[in-house]
Amino acid sequence: MLEIKKLSVSVEKNKILDNLDLTIGSGEVHAIMGPNGSGKSTIAHTLAGNPNYNVDSGQALFNGKDLFELDPSERSLEGLFLAFQYPIELPGVSNASYLKQILNVHRKYEGKDPIDAAEFLKILKEKSNRLNIPMEMHSRFVNTGFSGGEKKKNEVLQMDFLNPSLVIMDETDSGLDVDALRQTSEAVNQLRSSDRSFIIITHYLRLLEYIEPDYVHVFQDGKIVESGDKKLAHKIDKEGYAT
Amino acid sequence: MSKLNQKVDSHDCLIQIVRNNLVVSNESKYINCSALEESGSINLNIEVLESDIATRINLQALRDSYINLNIEISLLKGARLEVLDESEYSKGSEIKINSELKQGSSFELYRLNKFNQSTENKYYHTCNLSRNCVFKDFNFTNGSKQMTNETIISLAHEHAKYIGSGVVITNSTNCNNTLKINHIAPSAISDCSFKAVSRGNAAVTFNGKISVDENCSNTVSNQISKGLIMDEESKVNLIPKLEINNDDVVCSHGAASGKPDENVLFYLTSRGISRKDAEKIYIQGFLGEYIYKIDNAQMQAKAKQFISQNA
Ligand SMILES: Nc1ncnc2c1ncn2[C@@H]1O[C@H](COP(=O)(O)OP(=O)(O)O)[C@@H](O)[C@H]1O
Ligand SMILES: [Mg+2]
Repeated sequence: MLEIKKLSVSVEKNKILDNLDLTIGSGEVHAIMGPNGSGKSTIAHTLAGNPNYNVDSGQALFNGKDLFELDPSERSLEGLFLAFQYPIELPGVSNASYLKQILNVHRKYEGKDPIDAAEFLKILKEKSNRLNIPMEMHSRFVNTGFSGGEKKKNEVLQMDFLNPSLVIMDETDSGLDVDALRQTSEAVNQLRSSDRSFIIITHYLRLLEYIEPDYVHVFQDGKIVESGDKKLAHKIDKEGYAT
Repeated sequence: MSKLNQKVDSHDCLIQIVRNNLVVSNESKYINCSALEESGSINLNIEVLESDIATRINLQALRDSYINLNIEISLLKGARLEVLDESEYSKGSEIKINSELKQGSSFELYRLNKFNQSTENKYYHTCNLSRNCVFKDFNFTNGSKQMTNETIISLAHEHAKYIGSGVVITNSTNCNNTLKINHIAPSAISDCSFKAVSRGNAAVTFNGKISVDENCSNTVSNQISKGLIMDEESKVNLIPKLEINNDDVVCSHGAASGKPDENVLFYLTSRGISRKDAEKIYIQGFLGEYIYKIDNAQMQAKAKQFISQNA
């Protein structure tokens, strides 16, 4: 699914990621844990193609394609999805119209006609219901004035609409209360399948108790310093990141 | 030279400028129109009487030549008028409106004009509002080579209210906009927003002047202007000016211009939207921010359509 080889990334001349290797197989769930500033969001944004992050060296193959040859929109159309740690506000555009546009651009790429209004409304209701999102939220401007939890749920909703094959969730759990965490985790678990992989960036064990990872990696100073299975997350929860 | 004067029983009124003539059809019984054409310039007089339903004028410039139009609008006590102009003015235009709103009358003006890129278009409006009058003034324009928009509002008596919104989309246009609001009487309200999208080597200027006279206690006046600059060659110059001579005034104003926020564009592209379409959505969002201020549902839909077609 994804093969990252010797990846070094810098932001404004500061080297953040250093010779990173990571391979993610189909259907696997990888958790990335690590202290603040260790480069977790950097890996997420680099994979999604944020132009602020410069790839200095290394490679990332996504389903056999060179990821860094694709622009951000092509990466999305090819099946990569980033749930942002800090979702962006877009005033003046209603959430419903935004969701419809991003869905239709993917449908077009798959050779399908734009979704009709009634069908869209039906899907929107169904998916919102699953995440306990009130329909009223969709008449508001995208993420504008949304609470922290609403923003995060809206990220998961977008993921649900776009049907990606590789999902990167960047601290989706922070800002969610216990109920919201359970609802979003259940929604994510429903989307788990043998042809969909997840990279879950989190500080907390509690998310990983809902969404069970196959692998856990500990990030420090732009490198993976330890990898293991779920037990590693428990150890970090108890002992912290200190080595 | 032609002269028209007719009365028909309907609230909808169509005024078409056709060739060298002016056609007024479906004239409402609440409205008196007369027109006089003289040496290329059309003088149109509109007088609206009180009725419970607004009279709506659809103004259409169909004539394939330069339009020089002088309009005198008089709303009698309690009268209601809506004017919609979606003309393209294919050969350029100069429109002068002088409107007089008598006590308790209400006027809504919707200009949604996509001008021919090579033309010159000028628009001047002077409006005088009496007690308890409301004027809602929505101007959406795109195009033309040289454009001038000038609106002068006098809030002449208590509880007069002006709500104004200017949206300018330019492609290689030199576009000068002036909005002067004169608070002459106390307890009047003005609320205006101006938004410009400048691209393709365009230069947009907005002069927004609010003056509040000494005797104008209990004034509320808001003005916001924003410019979106889409490329290195284009400019936006926002010049707000406030002259407030009374302490009992609630006044807010702001002016800001800049390029699109790259974080927003990245967010959109990360969802599969191309860079070009992301910019378009960004412009739509930028211009759509105050669209809810149009409370007339049909006109709000027209404005949304204008924005999505011209973004
Ligand atoms: N836009 C930026 N400009 C400058 N430095 C940045 C920027 N983004 C991230 N960094 C720096 O890169 C390092 C890693 O950041 P980040 O990947 O966001 O960490 P994490 O997500 O693990 O908390 C930090 O030292 C941070 O200050
Ligand atoms: Mg982070």
